Amino acid sequence: MWRIRIHGRGGQGIKTASQILGSAGFYSGFQAQDFPLYGAERRGAPVIAFTRISEDIILERGPISSPDIILIGDETLLNDPQSAPLCGAEPTTLIFVNSSHTPESLSQKFSLITANLNDLCLQHLNNRTVYSSALSAVGARLLGNIDLQDLLQAVEDELTPHGISSSALKGNLDLAREIFASLQPVDILRKEEKVLTAKSLVLPSQLPVVDGAPIILEPGNMALRKTGNWRVERPEIDYEKCNNCLICYARCPDGVIGIAPDGRPEIDYDHCKGCLICAQECPGHFIHTVREMGTFP
Amino acid sequence: MKTQKKIMLTGNKAAAWGARMAGVEYVPAFPITPQTEIVETLAKWFADGTLQGKFTNMDSEHSMFMAAGSAGATGVRVFTASSSQGILHGMESLYTITGWRTPMVIVNVSRALATPITLEPDHNDVMSTRDCGLIQLHAETCQEVFDFILMGYRISEDPEVCLPVLVNLDGFYLSFTREPVLIPDEKDVRNFLPLYTATQPVFQASRPMARASAVFGGATYTSFKLQQELAARHAEKSFNQVAQDFKKYFGRFYGPLETFHLDDAEYVFVMSNSFATKGKSAVIKLRQQGIKAGLLKLRLFRPFPSEAIASALGGCAKVAVIDQNLAPGMGGITYPEIVTSLYSRKDRPEKILSVIGGLGGKDIEDQDFMAIIDHLDKPDRGTPLYLYDEGDVKGFNRLQQIAKFNEALK
Repeated sequence: MWRIRIHGRGGQGIKTASQILGSAGFYSGFQAQDFPLYGAERRGAPVIAFTRISEDIILERGPISSPDIILIGDETLLNDPQSAPLCGAEPTTLIFVNSSHTPESLSQKFSLITANLNDLCLQHLNNRTVYSSALSAVGARLLGNIDLQDLLQAVEDELTPHGISSSALKGNLDLAREIFASLQPVDILRKEEKVLTAKSLVLPSQLPVVDGAPIILEPGNMALRKTGNWRVERPEIDYEKCNNCLICYARCPDGVIGIAPDGRPEIDYDHCKGCLICAQECPGHFIHTVREMGTFP
Repeated sequence: MKTQKKIMLTGNKAAAWGARMAGVEYVPAFPITPQTEIVETLAKWFADGTLQGKFTNMDSEHSMFMAAGSAGATGVRVFTASSSQGILHGMESLYTITGWRTPMVIVNVSRALATPITLEPDHNDVMSTRDCGLIQLHAETCQEVFDFILMGYRISEDPEVCLPVLVNLDGFYLSFTREPVLIPDEKDVRNFLPLYTATQPVFQASRPMARASAVFGGATYTSFKLQQELAARHAEKSFNQVAQDFKKYFGRFYGPLETFHLDDAEYVFVMSNSFATKGKSAVIKLRQQGIKAGLLKLRLFRPFPSEAIASALGGCAKVAVIDQNLAPGMGGITYPEIVTSLYSRKDRPEKILSVIGGLGGKDIEDQDFMAIIDHLDKPDRGTPLYLYDEGDVKGFNRLQQIAKFNEALK
């Protein structure tokens, strides 16, 4: 069995990538299974999806804790402790990162491949933030056992229900074809079966109700949760032109635009999720959006 | 013995008196037959100043239970009541508020569930709340209704429990039945049940808090659920302590189970709620005929007192578990719980029979109990024994003739 884990953010097509890969594997004659894992659906929040492809019946379900291939669509996740995309990776695990860089710390430990999918996505889809076709094409090619025709069929079958136009579909097919041609299959080492040992289970002890019920006594602890890395695009205020009307301050649904001592609006980038409502609302269009990529300088 | 007055009360009035003597401070209410008399009585007492606090008519049982839980989270003593379709409508809220771990007493007046719709009692309504995390006490008499409410607050407010207590009584057979009930002096009640002071953090305007947090991840969810389980299990210990205390103050003692002629019994009926009285009467008549019958009555239904049940029924030859409820395709709901309690016992009964009776308020008569004895002596037929007879078939056929009257088809 080949276990593929895909990391990205809400809105990047991560779940769809796992489904294209699942269908492509299925069309190529394998047993296949795919499954997404996310909380309340939120654009920009970390998302994980899983695809299992096997010659035999798949007797597994749920998350993949020990993957053969990890496909990381958004390199900013590498530094996100909540996402932990490298969790469960072993030296044999093949890791693909959508990046124009090769993080040295990673390449020393793992079998690492990087490619910049953003430019390819922009070229074929006129969009740099949706990776469903690109990532699934990477997975299919690296696996080496999936036919190009099956991959393209899967792209078409999985994207059509989303109601995309024929030109957008053609773009996705071209994108998948180009990525498929640009990579080479990788020999994925099979993991050795480990001897099953019993977990040591704990008999729970009763706690006082203040701890035994889901009670939160500390208000405002969301400040500790830095949601800034959910952003795919970053709003930037052009202070040369900003006239301090503060409409952005009033419209920000998360209250992360504050007022500086000199009266200017100020964006708290630790918590701004990049919804870009401020940019939409700014009467003079003085808030620009900047694509954010790159954990590594 | 303390001064107690004895007055004629319906089960519903006894429930209202229980809430009154407990000094409840908040009652969210929604009417439903056969429970309405309880909240009507309380509404009157709040209106005329007998009770201090707030009585609120809600728009449904769903919001009623949410209001009850929320009020409990502010640290006041809360009471509410429902029945049948009503408690089912509030089911989502019941699971929610037990997770909040806020104390209160809820009275359910049992009434069978639609369809067909009816007003008369059986226990499918209260059984459906079996797994919500409520502590459940089932009453046979109007006195038990009153006493269980006072005991209920002590158990519910025990810092190691902090779960709502549900007191159950049968609609009509108890809710509208008047019988003498001892009502103690309020100052004696206060000694047993002081006015409520929350022992856990409560909502205050000056202090924001959350107690219904969302979790993502099975391990966290499991941790909180296991805490609920431990608290519910602790409630059995709490029940027994409170029962001792109750006896000290008021002279009446309630174990989690009541045994009736059980010591030498060869045939045992396991029952609960008001029909247990009918079972006791049948036991006396059967004994007069030389049949060694006995009865085990369940009072504490959640937490389920498995050990006590196993000790009571261990060594009994033949046991019939009479369920006044029906899980279609399975049978009686308490039957498997009783059987499970006994499974590991070497002295478990040679025969444990599942009996379905009393559905929709259908009476269980002395001859029914004799039929159960007959059945216990016969080889096992595998399915539950349904207390359904020739007369029932006749009456049903007569009804069908009216419902399917030929003229209507033309």
